[in-house]
Formats: sequence, C-alpha cells, structure tokens
Amino acid sequence: MKAQRTHILVCTGTGCVSAGAFDIMETFQKEIEKHGLQEEIDVVPTGCNGFCENGPLVLFEPEGIFYQRLKVQDVPFLVEEHCLKGRPVPTLMYTPHRKKTPIPAMKDIEFFKYQKLVALRNRGRINPEKIEDYIAFDGYLGLAKSLTEMSPEQIIEQIRISGLRGRGGAGFPTARKWQVCKEQPNSPKYLICNADEGDPGAFMDRSVLEADPHAVIEGMAIGAKAIGAEKGFVYVRMEYPLAVERMKKAIKQAEDMGLLGDDILGSGFNFKLSVAIGAGAFVCGEESALIRSIEGQVGRPRQRPPFPAQKGLWGKPTNINNVETWVNVPQIIRKGGAWFASVGTEGSKGTKIFSLVGKINNTGLVEVPMGITVREIVFGIGEGILGGKKFKAVQTGGPSGGCLPESMLDLPIDYDSLASVGSMMGSGGLIVMDEDTCMVDVARYFTNFLAGESCGKCFTCRKGLERMLEILTNICNGKGKEGDVELLEELAIMVKDTSMCGLGQTAANPTLSTIRYFRDEYDAHIKEKRCPAGFCKELITYSILEDKCIGCGACKRVCPTDSISGEKKQTHVIDTKTCIKCGACVEACKFDAINVV
Amino acid sequence: MPKLTIDGLDVEVEKGTTLLEAIRFLGIEVPTLCHNDGLTPLGACRLCIVEIGKPPRSKIVTSCTYPAEDGLIVHSNTQRVINQRKLIIELMIATVPSSKTIQDLASKFGVTKCRFVPEHGECIHCGLCVRMCNEQMMAGAIGFAERGKDMVITTPFDKTSDVCRLCGACMYICPCCELRCQGPNAETTVCSGCLNLEAPCLDTYDEKMCFLDPCAACELTGPFRAEKKKKVQA
Amino acid sequence: MTKLTVEDLKRIKGEAQRTVLLREGTARAKVTVFMGTCGITAGAREIMDEVLQLIMQHHLDDVIATSSGCAGLCSKEPMMAVEYRFSPPVKYIDLTREKVREIFESHVLKGEPVPEYALGVGSETMG
Repeated sequence: MKAQRTHILVCTGTGCVSAGAFDIMETFQKEIEKHGLQEEIDVVPTGCNGFCENGPLVLFEPEGIFYQRLKVQDVPFLVEEHCLKGRPVPTLMYTPHRKKTPIPAMKDIEFFKYQKLVALRNRGRINPEKIEDYIAFDGYLGLAKSLTEMSPEQIIEQIRISGLRGRGGAGFPTARKWQVCKEQPNSPKYLICNADEGDPGAFMDRSVLEADPHAVIEGMAIGAKAIGAEKGFVYVRMEYPLAVERMKKAIKQAEDMGLLGDDILGSGFNFKLSVAIGAGAFVCGEESALIRSIEGQVGRPRQRPPFPAQKGLWGKPTNINNVETWVNVPQIIRKGGAWFASVGTEGSKGTKIFSLVGKINNTGLVEVPMGITVREIVFGIGEGILGGKKFKAVQTGGPSGGCLPESMLDLPIDYDSLASVGSMMGSGGLIVMDEDTCMVDVARYFTNFLAGESCGKCFTCRKGLERMLEILTNICNGKGKEGDVELLEELAIMVKDTSMCGLGQTAANPTLSTIRYFRDEYDAHIKEKRCPAGFCKELITYSILEDKCIGCGACKRVCPTDSISGEKKQTHVIDTKTCIKCGACVEACKFDAINVV
Repeated sequence: MPKLTIDGLDVEVEKGTTLLEAIRFLGIEVPTLCHNDGLTPLGACRLCIVEIGKPPRSKIVTSCTYPAEDGLIVHSNTQRVINQRKLIIELMIATVPSSKTIQDLASKFGVTKCRFVPEHGECIHCGLCVRMCNEQMMAGAIGFAERGKDMVITTPFDKTSDVCRLCGACMYICPCCELRCQGPNAETTVCSGCLNLEAPCLDTYDEKMCFLDPCAACELTGPFRAEKKKKVQA
Repeated sequence: MTKLTVEDLKRIKGEAQRTVLLREGTARAKVTVFMGTCGITAGAREIMDEVLQLIMQHHLDDVIATSSGCAGLCSKEPMMAVEYRFSPPVKYIDLTREKVREIFESHVLKGEPVPEYALGVGSETMG
C-alpha cells in the first residue's frame, strides 16, 4: 500500500453528478497527473455529502477543507494552489448566508456542525464502489460478530435494546417485526429492503444506496441470520439508476468475497441478495403493494392481516424494512443496542435522516438525533428562510404529512409528538414554506399528487381524493362557497377512516392539518375572495404603486402580454384585463413598485 | 376456531371466515356493492365497513376482506360507521346517478341530497365484472388499467380481446349497468341506456354486436352513441 | 477471489488503516511540508517525497504527511513541521533528505525533537 498525503473526496451522489461531479473528478485526475502528483494524491468518488444545494462538493483530507460549487475551470487553479503550493483557496469555500468570511473546514460549517451521523456515517468518506473502503471503516465486522458470536435471539435482543423503530414512516419496533417473522413455521423466509422512495423532494434512501450500499447488504445479512431467511431483495425504483448500479456492483463484490452466498465467512450460513427494480409507483412503497410488484403483479395493496411477516412474498413469511432501518443494524450489532439507545428521546431512539427542502437557505440531507426541534433544523442547520422572508409552515413526512405552523417550531421531532399534532415522521421529508406560500394551494398540490398516485382500488380513496381536489381547486380559483371547508373535512375524515392502506389513511393529512392550523387562509379565499399569500392567480391583481414607480420601463419590457403602458419617467399602469399575473414585472422592478393583492 | 364478539354477541366461526360472513351468519345486515358470494372479496366499494377494537383505538375496516380473528370486538352499526357509509353512498350517487342499485342504497340509508356536482359517470370500479370474467368465466379478458383517478376497466392495451367470448357476464353483474337498458325508445324519449357499455365492449362495438340485442339497436340509432363518437373524435 | 474468513476481514481492515487515518485526520504524528512557490523552488518536493517514502519503509499507518503553503520564512526553505501526538508543532528549516531521515527517526518515530535543525516550537496560527 502506497503512502499518500492527500485524498480528494469528490461527492458523486446524484445531486452533485447532475451538477457535473464526474467531469470535475476527471479534471482533478488529469491535473494531478499533469503535476506528477498521482503517487501522493488520490481522487476518490464518494456518496452524497448531503449539502446538495452547493454541489459539486469536494473535500480535501486530512486537512478537512471543503470546496463547493466547483466548476471544471476552477480545478486546474485549485490543484496548483492547494495540492502543489499548499494554499487553500478561500474563494471556492463555503460562505454562510449574509456573511462574508468563508469557512474552510467542513466540521465548522453550520450545516454539518449539528448533524450526528449514524446511518450516513460513511457518506462522503468512502468510495461506495470499493468494498475495501467499507471494510476499512469497520465494515462487515458486525456481520462477522453476528455470525460467529451471536444467536438469532441475541441479535434480536440487541435490536430490542436499541429501540430501533422502522424508518420508513410508521415507526413499528423493528425487533418485534423480526420476532414475528422469525416465529413463523413456514419456510423459506424472505427479506426485503424497501428503497421505493416516492415522496416529492425526499432522497434519503437514494443517497444511502449511493453512498454506502454495503451497509445495506450487511444489515440485511445480519437480519437474515436473526430471522432465518436465505434470500433477500432490494426493491429500488428505476428512476434511481445510479443507486441501482452501485447496489448491483456492491452485491457482486460481496459475493466475490464470500460475504454473500453460501457459507458466509466460513460460518455455514447462507444468504443471497438481488436487486428488484420497481416502475416508480408511489403506492409500491406500501409493503403489500411492494410484494405484489416483486411477484410481477400490479402494485396494489391488499388487506392486512395476514401481515407480510405471516404471509408475504409468494405466500411465505417476509420481513420488510426501509433502507435507513437496515443501515442502522450493523452498527447496533457492532457497538451494542445500548450505544444506539443513548441518543434520542424516550420513545424514539437514535438518529433520523431528513431531506430538508423548500424555501430554506441550506437544502440537503441531514442526519440529526431524534428529539431535535423543528427550529434547530430550520434555523440552525438550514440557516433560516430564503431571502430573509418570514417562516410560515413546515411539512413533515412527505406528501401525506401535515403542515405545522410557527407555533410548533419548538416541537421535538420524534414519532409520537409528530403524530400527536396531526402530522407524521414519514420517511423524513421536511418541506419549509415561507410567507409567500398559500396553504390552500399546498393542500391542493399534495391532494393532486395523492389522487394521481392512489392505486384506485378503494372507492373512498380514489373518489374521495378526487372530490377533495375538486373543492380545493375551486377554493383556489375563487369559486369556493360557504360550507366547503366543512364538506372538505367530512370527506377527509372519511378517506382517512375507510381506506385500506397507508396511502389512503394518511392522504387527508395535508388538508386536515392546513384546515386545523390555517383556517383563516381558507376563510379569506372563500369569504373575501382573497389569497393572503398573494399566490392564487384567480384571486390576485397586479397594480403599480404611484409613489414608488420612477417610470424606468423595466416592467414594460418584460411583460409578455404588453399589459403595461406608460411614458418614460411617468408612473406606469397595468391593464388588469390582459394581465396574466405571471409575475415577470415583480422580478424586473427594482423599486418594489408592483403591488400584488 | 376463532371466537369473537359482534355487536355484543359472542360467536365462534370457522378459521378462514371473513367478518362479513360472520356478521351475516348472525343475521345482521351489512350493505355491500362489490361483494358477491361467488367471487373473491376485493374491498373496493367500502360499503361493508365495520368498526373493530375499542375506542379511541378502534379502527374501521371492510368486513368483506378482514379475517375473523380470535378475540376481535366488532361493531357493525356505530354512528361513525353510519356517517362514513352515508358519505360513501353520496359520493357514489354523484358518480353514477343513473344506477338503480345505487339509488336504492341511497334511499335505504336516507341519503336524500347530493352535495357534489354529478359526474354522470358509467362505472364505480367495483371490479365485479373483472372478477366475474376472471374467476367464473375463466376468460380474463378485462382488467384494471392506470391508477388513481385515471383508473379504468378495459381489455389489455385497449385492443379487441381475443379471449372475450361476448358472454355478457360482465354486464349481468354490473351494478351500474343492470336495469338500465329499456330497449329501443321513441326518438323523443331520453334513454339512459347502456352507457356502461364502455367497460368491456364499446371499443369493439363496430365489429361485434352487443349481447343485448335491443340495446345495441338503441345505441346505434340513439343519441348517446353519436355523442360518444364526437367525444372520442374530440 | 477466494472466500473470506473473519481473520481475512480484519486483515483487510488493517491494511486499509492508512485510508481511514487520512480521511479521519487523526494520527500519532503529522508532518507538514511547506510547499509554497519558494518552498518548491528550494526543493520541498524532494522533502515530501522522502517523507512519503519513509512512511512506507517503516510501514507506518498512523502518520500523516500533508502540505501547506509558504510559511513566510522563504530564506530558510525547505521547511517542514512535525506535530507529535498533542505536543505543539516543531518547525525544521534548511532541510535535506538526510536531515529529514534523522528527524523522522527521532521525532516522528520516538517523539524526540531534533533541536539542532529546529527553528522553533509552536504555531502562529489559531487552533
């Protein structure tokens, strides 16, 4: 093994790849060879760092210096300065919002400072396509321990002590799930890793598969030993080509090394794993729909009980866990359940990955201890609302989660407190909304998504959501009438109560929670035909403020419908009859003279 | 042999019995629409809902698909169940106002007004025809396609099916279709005829005759076919 | 490839220790070679090369070699600093391959600084 002085870790998660990470990596390699440094410096592709807002990201170790938003043309200069002359380049470092001094070290950046990495411990640190890298960072030692030193009962006991709950949304205790499946008399038993992540704006599963595929394999192999399964599937959607590719590569490597297959590590234990590719239906994230999809049938949920643990894939006992749940397993086994349980709250142990998106300064993927408050995530890690606007709401748990208002900012995030306020943990989406977001429109948007993604079997979910969408659209278009909100609530409760699977049972959350916390916005739409956020096109008009307009003509030039008229240096006027409310003038005006009511 | 309590009555049933069967065994009435004793339960219409468990942790399930489990406490007629059921019927009426089956249900449960704009649809996607075709006629000519609000019942790829024997069982069992065709009418009468022909056979209509001979005549000469053609062309 | 045993797994992990070290930034000793333009002209590349070779020769997996910019004392180049465990860094000046070897044997391996080549002890930067 050659001695090297620097590793350049280039983030190659999907976010950075689409921002050009592969080109950056290639240029690094070329430049380093040009300077004859290839013996001393290694360029390593890694999984997603989480700070996707600022990609492509590159980390120089051991110095720990973090470069962001790199362009190919920056690389020659960076290599010359940093690698050759040893001078870090401040202009390419991260500068926090509304501040001037760049922060060189990754560990000092707010976004990373408050995070606690357990599931994502290898992100941005190992090359996900090299099994040796994973082993170097204690990989497969948990599997070795469970195969050589532990009985299935001991493994489940450690999981029970850890307090690990399903990370896919419902938060069912993992140990109990395993126990039920283990006790089933039928065989063979199957394991499934649910990586069918369909929430708009959520990408934690994808990121884990791309950054640390071997952790999923190891977690599943340990689970297989505990439950007594011999075959497993990783169910990934085809929209995640990079995740599929890395997972397949990882499985191949593990097979070649004898970490999957027959007689693993000489212990006599057999476990095979393969990738099953889904077509990307949101509903296939539901256990029973997912099973049907693997079987080659239409992905449509079925009545539970019998639960998959009793009757799952091809009628055999099947245990399904989410990606994030599986990757926590190896570390719990290696370090003990008590270690894992030392973080988190009474009912929710460990850490949780959230994808932080919306009107926030730092979007990306964060892993934080359970029990952290919404405020700490939004204003600490996220560094506040984009453009200094006012915070309005945060939606937790993906499209079927609830929207929490400002008064809930200090709510600790864990399974039980989120459920108690009408939202849910879900798979961990966090969508931040500012004062310009119309909450009725938010409910409409998510109801539209869910009405389209419902499998359509249950009349109430299909028709109920369709009718809810109709009412919400009417309200947004200024056609709402008295009694609409009550009817909406009635429908929402019916959909929640009478639908069969998790999709329908949670589909009313966006509507119910926005009615609960933002009733005034609904009333303004219906009674005053006014959209308080100035968003719903049918309910707003554009006008120009006389005292602010200087007659520069900037708005007139950008108006696509020629609705703005006025002489130079005179106050301009908008013809509201032809105005299509596109907002181009608002963006063009430097004097805030366009008024939207 | 699971023992359970239904509306306060203790009952012991055979393993594998559904809640609906157990409830009906006791003589308690539960409305159904997508249920048929000869077909596998689907749980599509949600009319047969019952409440299980004790409040506040009780939940609503469809009795036709839920297995009778030992120790289960079932209430078939709580206020919650009745309220939801009435709203479901109201939604169904709005979807297919002309179905006599649904109209009867509405009148039975006292649903007298409909707060939704009627769709004048032709299908509530109960899946009876699909299951009939698959399980009893052993044809498998029709099935569900698309999902969510776009879901339709059709032949594979909307092509003329070569396994369909035109037996008409699908139309026989359809709650929206049945009792609607009144045969050929005078031109002045507005016929609410076989709108639901669309499900299995309208797209193949030009080549094949409908098994309901008068109905076909009505469709060919009546106003609806022309309307439909216009719609398709648009 | 032959199948692994638990021992193999631990061996691979041991061999990869250097990678871990580099990416975690914790080590027994850290050698910083000052590689500004002045340093490179004075032969800092050779010094870096020597340090890396020495690390390999001694099969050390807990010593980091890294580079830094001009230290400001261009007339004394090539220079390097050695940081042993938690003691303050010692700067060495006017280096040659021989001197590096000597410093390496004594300071990096045993933790005993070599005063005759040293400029001073301590660091002018924060942290």
